[in-house]
Amino acid sequence: MLLRHEGFRRLCLARERLQDLDDPAPAIEQLARDVGISPYHFIRQFEAVFGVTPHQYRIQARLDRAKALLATRERSVTDVCMEVGFSSVGSFSALFARRFGEAPSAFRRRVRLHDLTPGCLSLMGDQPDRSFREA
Amino acid sequence: MHIRLASVMVDDQEKALRFYTDVLGFRTNKDFPVGEYRWITVISPEGPGDVELALEPNAHPAAKTFQQTMFSQGIPLAAFEVDDLPAEFARLSARRVVFTKPPTPAGPVMVAVFADTCGNLIQLYQRT
Repeated sequence: MLLRHEGFRRLCLARERLQDLDDPAPAIEQLARDVGISPYHFIRQFEAVFGVTPHQYRIQARLDRAKALLATRERSVTDVCMEVGFSSVGSFSALFARRFGEAPSAFRRRVRLHDLTPGCLSLMGDQPDRSFREA
Repeated sequence: MHIRLASVMVDDQEKALRFYTDVLGFRTNKDFPVGEYRWITVISPEGPGDVELALEPNAHPAAKTFQQTMFSQGIPLAAFEVDDLPAEFARLSARRVVFTKPPTPAGPVMVAVFADTCGNLIQLYQRT
């Protein structure tokens, strides 16, 4: 599929709106209208460009914000869960664990013990030589 | 001194590994856990066999901002060379890859740009 300049620009704007958690979640129909295509094509196009549907993208943005809050502030998991707009700690924890590989409570404990994990390239330097060469 | 490792930042390492192998056709070279992330590199089956591309998590907020800004402004963050750009364009288009620039002459090369589904635009070029 070829996405010309204007279509691409509008899709990027739609992504920014999905990411802006200070605003209520924009309706898919509205986003699609602003991009100038049908909701069906908007969802398909968004997924082909960003690898997830608009709905999944919004959830990821909320989980990313939750992760940042848990890492940097003295907040309980329940507080953070509510702040990013989930009403059930159970479903929040499950989604968080699916995205980041551990429950929010476990993540919170871990980052308090260590500094936040640095980028992968610097992590590689900490690996025993053996793992890097033989993996 | 050799350049054997390049990297692209990705928003989801598992998704990236699937795209870079299943869709683009690279091969997994290394994949092992490092803390909460993974060290993943791919190589091209067309060679050279000792040049790796790392799929690095864009975990840092500054990395996310950088990646997203470059993307929105249409700026590719990596470039791969191909022998036959129109053929690659057709092959990847058939796999639902979205291009933002079709094969286009640009001086000594022909270039095209696609979205890698992990937050980056990637340029393909063919020497002409």
